[in-house]
Amino acid sequence: MIKVRALNKAFGGLRAVRDLSFEALPRCVTSIIGPNGAGKSTAFNLIAGTLQPDSGTVELDGRDITGRAPFALARLGVARSFQITNLFFGLSTFENVRLACQSLERRSSYLVRLDRLARPQACARAILAEFGLQERANELVGNLSHGDQRRVEIAVCMALRPRLLMLDEPTQGMSPSETAEFDALIKSLTGRATILLIEHDVDLVMSLSDHVIVMHQGEKLFEGTPDRVRASPLVREAYLGVDHAAV
Amino acid sequence: MLQPSIPPVEPRPSLNTAAKLNVGDRLLRALYPPRANAWQLRWLGFAMLVLAAIFPWLGGPFYTRLAIESFLFGATALSVDILLGYAGLLSLGQAAYFGLAAYISALMYLHVTQSFWLVLVAVVTAVAVFSLVLGAVAIRAKGVYFALITFGAAEILSKIAHNTRAIGGSDGLIGIPVPRITLLPGVTIDLQNNFVFYYAVLGVLVLIYIGTRRILDSGFGAVLRAIRDNSDRVPYLGYNSFWYKLLAYIMAAQVAAVGGLIYPLLRGFVAPHLFGFEVSTKAVVMSLVGGVGTLLGPLAGSVIVTFLESAVGSYTERHLLVLGVIFIVFVMFLPDGLIGLARRLSASRGKAAP
Repeated sequence: MIKVRALNKAFGGLRAVRDLSFEALPRCVTSIIGPNGAGKSTAFNLIAGTLQPDSGTVELDGRDITGRAPFALARLGVARSFQITNLFFGLSTFENVRLACQSLERRSSYLVRLDRLARPQACARAILAEFGLQERANELVGNLSHGDQRRVEIAVCMALRPRLLMLDEPTQGMSPSETAEFDALIKSLTGRATILLIEHDVDLVMSLSDHVIVMHQGEKLFEGTPDRVRASPLVREAYLGVDHAAV
Repeated sequence: MLQPSIPPVEPRPSLNTAAKLNVGDRLLRALYPPRANAWQLRWLGFAMLVLAAIFPWLGGPFYTRLAIESFLFGATALSVDILLGYAGLLSLGQAAYFGLAAYISALMYLHVTQSFWLVLVAVVTAVAVFSLVLGAVAIRAKGVYFALITFGAAEILSKIAHNTRAIGGSDGLIGIPVPRITLLPGVTIDLQNNFVFYYAVLGVLVLIYIGTRRILDSGFGAVLRAIRDNSDRVPYLGYNSFWYKLLAYIMAAQVAAVGGLIYPLLRGFVAPHLFGFEVSTKAVVMSLVGGVGTLLGPLAGSVIVTFLESAVGSYTERHLLVLGVIFIVFVMFLPDGLIGLARRLSASRGKAAP
């Protein structure tokens, strides 16, 4: 479970995140939504260690993880995906996942020859099978379709055996049918990690989330179950109304 | 410069189809060759070794000694490849370690000891300390700044050597005695004999090559390749890339130092130019000519460039100009080097004959 308390971050005069506090319950999907510029991504980056907060704390399962470096967070069980696909494009799909698996191994095994480092290979094969990527195993990730690349992103995250899985607009740039596939994929992961999701696709958010946090101009505007968020006039005014009108 | 930034990840045509490739795709394919044809590398390595083994009987003393020199610079080229081909770091200052090792070794033979092994220990220690400190600073800088810091450090050493009378100033140190190296009790290596010298250095180079290959064929090497491919992503997998780069840097420094360790025994003198830009860039060109990221390529490249330079040098003083032209031609037309070319030729032949 993740606890965020009074998180603040300013870029010069712009207060991107103001006094943000929330909790995400274990094995639940908590989503952060809000119009562009609401501070979702900043909040996300503060939790994932990509940015350092000016003040406030982040707690993971009772441990203070505020401001830790991304590599330290990853070892503590925080895995994140990126809004713009961020993978090893010049390496094979297998190697992308295998590298994630390898990071769980003892560092003392890192001088063992790669083909004898068996456990990460088995782990990578299992993950690829689970995500239906076996056929793509030997292809360079740079050559995969956008949808497959997004899938590899999630596979890499799950290979890290995360306690907290942070997904930054996983369906960005996807067709409606691909998005539906992803809906099912993310649902299948809910039992295995606490999931924190940023997503623009409101229907996806409403279908996936147990808990929704609505941000507006850097602050938390509202939080509650999808139904309550949908019903809230405050939210509708700030976000949903505008967004639905646009769609 | 030598390393293409990965193009944005829009869905794009497969690199495997022989469709039109743009320059970015070509570079990408060049730097990330498919691993499937590792056996070709093995054959090539074997062929090179056979050629190297019979060379002294064909070449005569002058060329034998030139070949030894090319092996020594080959180690420096290999060190460039460890950094560029694996960690994605372009060092323009590998001469710092070549020169440092050469000066320490020369000074010790002149004033301290005739024991090769003591000199070896001193060089390894000095290079480890120096590369740890410089690496820790330089690695925090990215891209071209890393290149500039490494370049600057080598230049500073060169100026220090140039201006310090105690170590010979601009003249360098001459008259370095050639020691007898005791390999085992009763077994000595007599470096006065060209054949012995040649095979000893060849043996050392082969050992370094195998050792380097073995170390990089590991989980450690896999993380380095990931860093080269996309260093921003690496921390999110739980790897602290700083340590991996630093270890690669120290390893490369040691490999570059091997050339410097032996150089004074071959030429009998050391001079400030051993720290110079020419040595550093030559190592980069050798690496590029052979093929970055192959480890074997730089060794082939060093032999080719050294002999070419010697041949050109007998016609004109301006052999550096030739080096420059080679560099430009390879960057523009053969970014994957000769090994890449061989690979592509054999691949296309494989396709032609079904």
